[in-house]
Amino acid sequence: MGTTAAAETEGRGEAVGEEDGAILQLLDSLDGYISLMGSLSSSLRQGWLELSSARHSMGNSRISSTLFDMKPHSSATTVDLTVSTGESPSHDADQAMQPHFSLLKWGSRGDEKSPSVEVDGKTPSQASSCSGRTSCGLLLLKTDDSDEGGISATIYPAVAADNQVRKKRSKALSMFGALVPPKLRVAQGSFETSLEAIIEIANTRSTILSALGRLQTVDLRS
Amino acid sequence: MANRVQIPTNNSALIAMIADEDTVTGFLLAGVGNVDLRRNTNYLIVDSKTTVKAIEDAFKEFTTREDIAIVLISQYVANMIRFLVDSYNKAVPAILEIPSKDHPYDPAHDSVLSRVRYLFSSESVSSGRR
Repeated sequence: MGTTAAAETEGRGEAVGEEDGAILQLLDSLDGYISLMGSLSSSLRQGWLELSSARHSMGNSRISSTLFDMKPHSSATTVDLTVSTGESPSHDADQAMQPHFSLLKWGSRGDEKSPSVEVDGKTPSQASSCSGRTSCGLLLLKTDDSDEGGISATIYPAVAADNQVRKKRSKALSMFGALVPPKLRVAQGSFETSLEAIIEIANTRSTILSALGRLQTVDLRS
Repeated sequence: MANRVQIPTNNSALIAMIADEDTVTGFLLAGVGNVDLRRNTNYLIVDSKTTVKAIEDAFKEFTTREDIAIVLISQYVANMIRFLVDSYNKAVPAILEIPSKDHPYDPAHDSVLSRVRYLFSSESVSSGRR
């Protein structure tokens, strides 16, 4: 009888702890969500202003939806999606999924601020201290098969990668003509920034929904 | 963490948009536009002539397509189909309500924040009963 009561108390304590954890996570995520919405509003406002300036200099008919490219083409900027199942089971399978979004801006990861090493057959810690995918170059370190353990480095200047991105950017602008005002390019940059905020908001949203799911599960159990 | 399983989808998914012309133009400049072989786009431009039915149809289409990961919808457009947006509860595609030029973002109408408010209001009711 005594052990049953103790077990019940322990169980209740665990549930309270789990609920507290979920509430904290939820409140943190909510705060992040609202801040990110503020950033998004700011970058969108900037973009609309620059777009209006470009329209003012080019003329209304030069920047309009009638000029959108309607030929079949795939999106240059996409989203990479990874889905993980939640930590605790939920009554709703969709709530148990926690997707993680990453932006592939112009076909490359937009969040690569610091370079990272790609090493053939070696972990990054075993590789050189220099890291890989930079705006200046892609560094590949390969170990020789011989016992001497020599490392040959092949550097592929990512000028080619930068050129690809530049071409895709220009292609997006070209639907409004070959020569576009600088304001339109700046507007393009503002909307790219907005996309980054959107991805963060999407990830925060999935954290919020996951925390909500956990809270509802704890609530049902108690 | 034993239950956490990463499922890499290995898919580049699209961002869909239901918004005004300037917002759609801006995001098309950022490379988000996609047109398939049947000339179906991943966006709907909402103007004064766009009907609520067209917005509903676009929302239903974008939320059921498997190649779309995020649906951006201007909040004032979401308000026109609020019932549909609030009853949507899937994790993917993520529905994000964004501000528009003439309608700033209002947290009171956001469907995610509404869900949190509902949970806390029902929790406070149930804790009051205890």
